Amino acid sequence: MTRFLLAGTRADGAGEVALGAAAHRVVEASTWYGWLRRWGLLLSFGLARDPAAEVRACLVVLASDERAAERLAEGWGTVSGYRVAVLTLTGEGAR
Amino acid sequence: MSEPAEAALTAAFRAEWPRLIAAGLRITGDLQTAEDLAQETLLAALDRWPLQGIPDRPGAWLMTVCRNRARNFVRDDSRAQQRIASLRPLLDRVPPEGREIPEIADDRLRLIAMCCHPVLADDAQVALTLRMVAGLTTEEIARGFNAPAAAIAQRIVRAKRTLREHRVAFATDEPDIRGRLASILDVIYLVFNEGYLPAESDSLTRGDLAFEGRQLACLLTSLVPGEPEPWALRALLSFQLSRWATRTGPDGGLLTLDVQDRGRWDRKLIADGIAALERARGGPRGPLLLQAELAACHATAPSFAATDWGAMVALYDELLAVQDTPVVALNRAVAVAMAAGPEAALPALDELARHPVLAGSHRVWAVRADVNRRAGRTAAALADYDRALELVKNQAERRYLARARQQAEESEKKG
Repeated sequence: MTRFLLAGTRADGAGEVALGAAAHRVVEASTWYGWLRRWGLLLSFGLARDPAAEVRACLVVLASDERAAERLAEGWGTVSGYRVAVLTLTGEGAR
Repeated sequence: MSEPAEAALTAAFRAEWPRLIAAGLRITGDLQTAEDLAQETLLAALDRWPLQGIPDRPGAWLMTVCRNRARNFVRDDSRAQQRIASLRPLLDRVPPEGREIPEIADDRLRLIAMCCHPVLADDAQVALTLRMVAGLTTEEIARGFNAPAAAIAQRIVRAKRTLREHRVAFATDEPDIRGRLASILDVIYLVFNEGYLPAESDSLTRGDLAFEGRQLACLLTSLVPGEPEPWALRALLSFQLSRWATRTGPDGGLLTLDVQDRGRWDRKLIADGIAALERARGGPRGPLLLQAELAACHATAPSFAATDWGAMVALYDELLAVQDTPVVALNRAVAVAMAAGPEAALPALDELARHPVLAGSHRVWAVRADVNRRAGRTAAALADYDRALELVKNQAERRYLARARQQAEESEKKG
């Protein structure tokens, strides 16, 4: 298993968020993170302090390979609405 | 988390939205900025809550974030340095994080009053109220009104500009709530009606708007509990919405009161209507209260046959005395036909069919067609159905009228 960093940035033109859709997104994303934690794949997360920061959130996840990490990124993008970039973590403790 | 969690969260967002706009307005003094801040606050919750967990007091969390951003916005705006000094007492009153934040009910009321400001046209008041108070997106409002989103966005932008040009200030102006209550109630009723029976649509109802209208009425009763008219409006809308699930059949066609399944009427909404009506009865017997009383006659009748039509005719007489409109007269004629038989209602209907306001609407022809049919005057009924079908725009109502005409024609052939 390898550690990957998933970085989520707000997609362009987030526009107005419908209140019902916002609630749906919170519930869906919470469930998704819950499963990730239960499977031991979510090692840690970070949230931007600056409200104007481009990167909104980062996840450190475990995945068997890059393709598996891409699939996790795709899932995260779907539930969060972020554009997600995947970086392989290398060096001490990466594996 | 489950569907109930999602519903609770939606309710929390809806409840907090006008408070966030009001808090942003109070600090920045600008409606557009306040809306942006409320939107950013919502996005911050979307970032954080799923990962960190939903805070114990979501409302307090949202308010703290919104206020902090508003303060940052004012501080960052170099042109506003002087205003900071004047705002200092307000900013200093913001409680530190974690402390209980008192509810400023008055702010939401100010917000509604601001959206219903007399400098704005009716349609702008409705659109602005839906955006700022109910938290609907421009897209949602556009869907509700069957209008292009760009047109609604323009309407909202123009309304904000008008308020700015007229220097309608949120925090300093003392809105004349009682003086403006009539237009606030009108706006809410318009929102409801647009959802309950849209003039031009393929389906009979646009539910979200109707339920938003009732939510606004409930909010108003909680903000000015001592005023009877908002209670009357709440009662009226609750009774109307109690029949929501039974107004259309499986094919989307209109189901009239006599064929609706009363067992499926929403008892909670009827109970809410009865309680609200009790509160409203302390006030003057104005149009809203009388309409709520009329709606209560239907909502509390055990069956269509057991409806107290005599009491309804008396209520319509009372309503005509305070609101003498042809629409009220038309509804009265329906009640007369039920209470005293179709023949008793026909003279009034003949007169109403000639009324310039009603003659161009399908309703008077549809009602007279039904009354003529019940009186056994089938040829006259068929002619009225044809006229109604020429004028009707709502497709669900058109299907209903076409079916009724066909039934009248078949019974004529059999007879």
